Amino acid sequence: MNILLLIFLMMLVTYIPRMLPSQITDKLRIGKKFRKYLELIPYTAMAALIFPGVISVDANLWYIGVVGALVAVLLALVKKIPVVLVVVAAVLADMALYYFI
Amino acid sequence: MSTPVILGFIPVAIAFAIMASSSGLTAFESVAMSVFVFAGASQMMSVGMIAEGAGYLAIVVATFIMNFRHFIMSTCVFERMQGATPAQKMLLSFGVTDESFAIFTTTEREKCNKWYFFGVFLGTYLSWILGTFIGTFATAIFPASVSGSLGISLYAMFIALLVPKVKTNWRLLIVVVLTAFINFGLQNLFEPSWSLIVSTLVGAGIGMFIVRDEDESEVAE
Repeated sequence: MNILLLIFLMMLVTYIPRMLPSQITDKLRIGKKFRKYLELIPYTAMAALIFPGVISVDANLWYIGVVGALVAVLLALVKKIPVVLVVVAAVLADMALYYFI
Repeated sequence: MSTPVILGFIPVAIAFAIMASSSGLTAFESVAMSVFVFAGASQMMSVGMIAEGAGYLAIVVATFIMNFRHFIMSTCVFERMQGATPAQKMLLSFGVTDESFAIFTTTEREKCNKWYFFGVFLGTYLSWILGTFIGTFATAIFPASVSGSLGISLYAMFIALLVPKVKTNWRLLIVVVLTAFINFGLQNLFEPSWSLIVSTLVGAGIGMFIVRDEDESEVAE
């Protein structure tokens, strides 16, 4: 298998969908309604990225993802907490969990 | 706030490199993939497929399907971006990832210029490459429990970006929870990456009726 050829093809199919909108959004006149729709997408996209994927962080132990996510949610509720702290805490919580099971 | 997000990227890259080396990729190939493809989830998927002995075509098609969500994300990013020429946009579009999109579209509109995005792009890109590089040595350094635990880092990052926004806006919270369950419900109907795209678009469509316009302007701040 030539991995470098595979990487090249993966680059093409990844870059083209990223690039096309950058060349057309100027030519589109975006109305108020459509803008509101676009404003909502970050939140719905993140919701869909998190769930249900988080359950299968460990394909055999569903609670690994759930515990890590709960720790992240609780910490993220703290005002102005840096994102990296939330990430590190979730990783540490999962490490602790692996240690005890 | 973008610097901490960028640091959160490194553990994800380490996790990718560990997976890649266990699938038989050399350190050079792993780093090359991070340099040229720059799309975390699909890179992980591709090395998983390589390990299973999947063919080229299957991997490339799966990558396309999986990364097609960036088409939507890119539309949101460039709709917000002020004052970039088409050539600059062509370059910057390489930097549209789940993470740069999440950072850029949750930052107040006034700050959303090309330089801000370029900074986010450069930070995420370099830490992605650096993390991959570290990860190629990591199998020797880290025990399995550490590499296993790194899998949560991507999700923790999205949670850390999402929670502060929905905390003060219960209508948006409803839309977010609803979207998550739509995505869950669609898992049996579609490939997970298509389900992600469909639920993102449908969820935002439902959100048009739930989130008030005044809430929405608060959301963007």
